[in-house]
Amino acid sequence: MSIRSVSRALSAALLMAVLVLPAFGGSGTEADPWVIGMSQCNLGEPWRVQMNADIEAAAKDKQNIKLVYKDAQNDTLKQRSHIEEFVGQGIDLLIISPKEAAPLTPPVKKAYDAGIPVIVLDRRVMGDNYTQFIGADNKLIGEAAGIWVANALRGKGKVVELKGLMTSTPGQDRHSGFRKGIEGSDIEVVFEADMQWLEPNARKEMESALARHDEIALVYAHNDPGAHGAWLAAKAAGRDKDMLFVGIDALPHEGQAYVAQGILAASFEYPTGGKEAIENALKILAGEDVPKEIVLKSRVFTPENLKNGGEWLGGDDTAEEDDEWDDLDFTPGQSGQPVL
Amino acid sequence: MNAAQRILAQPATRAFIALGLIVSLGFVFHADGAFHKWSTHRDMLRQVSEHGILACGMTIVILTAGIDLSVGSVLGLVAVVFSLMSIHWGWNPVLAVGACLALGAACGTVSGSVIARFGVQPFIATLAMMVFARGLAKYVSGGQKISQSVQNADGSFGYVELPRVFDALDARILGGNVSVVTIIFLVCVVVTWVLLARMRPGRHLYAIGGNEYAAHLSGVPVMRTKILAYALCGLFAAVAGICHAAQEYQGDPEAGVAYELTAIAIVVIGGTSLMGGRGSILLTLLGTLSIGYLEKILSINAVGEASRLMLTGGIIVAAVLLQRRRA
Repeated sequence: MSIRSVSRALSAALLMAVLVLPAFGGSGTEADPWVIGMSQCNLGEPWRVQMNADIEAAAKDKQNIKLVYKDAQNDTLKQRSHIEEFVGQGIDLLIISPKEAAPLTPPVKKAYDAGIPVIVLDRRVMGDNYTQFIGADNKLIGEAAGIWVANALRGKGKVVELKGLMTSTPGQDRHSGFRKGIEGSDIEVVFEADMQWLEPNARKEMESALARHDEIALVYAHNDPGAHGAWLAAKAAGRDKDMLFVGIDALPHEGQAYVAQGILAASFEYPTGGKEAIENALKILAGEDVPKEIVLKSRVFTPENLKNGGEWLGGDDTAEEDDEWDDLDFTPGQSGQPVL
Repeated sequence: MNAAQRILAQPATRAFIALGLIVSLGFVFHADGAFHKWSTHRDMLRQVSEHGILACGMTIVILTAGIDLSVGSVLGLVAVVFSLMSIHWGWNPVLAVGACLALGAACGTVSGSVIARFGVQPFIATLAMMVFARGLAKYVSGGQKISQSVQNADGSFGYVELPRVFDALDARILGGNVSVVTIIFLVCVVVTWVLLARMRPGRHLYAIGGNEYAAHLSGVPVMRTKILAYALCGLFAAVAGICHAAQEYQGDPEAGVAYELTAIAIVVIGGTSLMGGRGSILLTLLGTLSIGYLEKILSINAVGEASRLMLTGGIIVAAVLLQRRRA
């Protein structure tokens, strides 16, 4: 290629860039809405697709904001440049669900120092150079699952634990929380294996568990696809009716659907925080003060409570935006559904 | 060279020895007798069938001194499309299977044409197809798993009935002793064997792998045969994709990530040469069993993830070295 054609191509590209670049920065009116940048670390996991969908649903009828999404495809450096692009374009607020803390802390700090409010979703960054952190607590959810399991089995039984990736924080927390939850009971974990969050692996590991143990009362998997994979294995062995299956995440089209089908006895919600992020973003943009940290409440879904939208963990007084739950009267252990 | 040495020098003999060594590990580490149960072996065969089906196609391509990195992505794409067609669009199973096989073969034909017509390296051309097919799978599915759940008009989720074809493919026959996917795998092996050992295009594949230029000079239709190799590889990937969807009751756009590496490992452990021209489907069958037993033995013993990866790496190298040793 000659130098002339290169420069011609370059200028064409530049022209294109100028034409398609949206105008950034707004004043919060319908004609000139605030621009919120959403930096997602990857859209390979259904849970993160759900997070974006939750954000989109919450922002749909808000005329005064405009969202720009970027997907870093699980690449830390890509996510870093996405943040830098957002800062360069002068967005009004940044929502980031970071891939990992250490390398993304400096770019987030730069955005924050440049006067852009930052909401950090799900995974943390280091220090306190952000406006707000919104996330759920895997340890608490794991513990709630452990207590539920202990109650459902009346304090005694053989359990299989199918772990997520044990080199990842969610995997470690869902494991240690669960162990804490069943502490003091006679629940015995007879088989545990790492299934790397993947359904085919869960099915494989469960087949091994079934081959080794004739008596399994319950399978606790660190995510719903894992629990579903275990159910497939048990079904193929004709033993799916002999045991219960419990999973985590409770996405509407995954865990909740499995509960509706009677496959899972319970699925524990790991909330995405997408809705809360938009609510708080609007408060921040309107100049209101928001708490530095929000720990999301989580629900447990069982066949009995699915129609009512699940049951909040940790009692009924805490779900601030769901006042209707205050009217419901829960007794721990009622209908076999314990609450924290 | 006496008779015993000659037999030992056979690649098939060596593949048998590698398999035998791995199986004997199972008798030593039998996990409270779990290895002695038939159900363990039956489940192993089911688990490895998908990889084995991919390895059938991979064998054909590797015999021509090529490689196909796109099989895992094509598997994912077909799993998504098959689930869409049969669960949500209510297509007749025969039609859905046919369309999916055509889709897989089309992906392979595109890769093959780019390789054979334009002389692009197989590694690059199929790498491109790997990325493209994964993207297409995500586009078609909207990034979500295609399962029985459907969103109602009011935003709530319900679920539709699972088409019978899923149950049929995930079932076991012969008194519950053999999984249907294992039968499908064995059919793929037989089809590949007939092609490679009994048909003219099979001989052409070996000739191209041995020496492409010489094959061209002796009248082998090199371009057509190469395209055929990749088309078949895509077709087998589609078969595996349908089996995958049936076994998961859903189409996951992320399905099959890194499966191409397992398929290549199976072919290589069997003893088929990556340089092309030497190898057979029998070797791939033995390689499939070796990988299957290796995974199963590690799994029933609940070996931790870290040690499992290290052991797998070590045993693969050992198996390949055993293949290589001159008698």
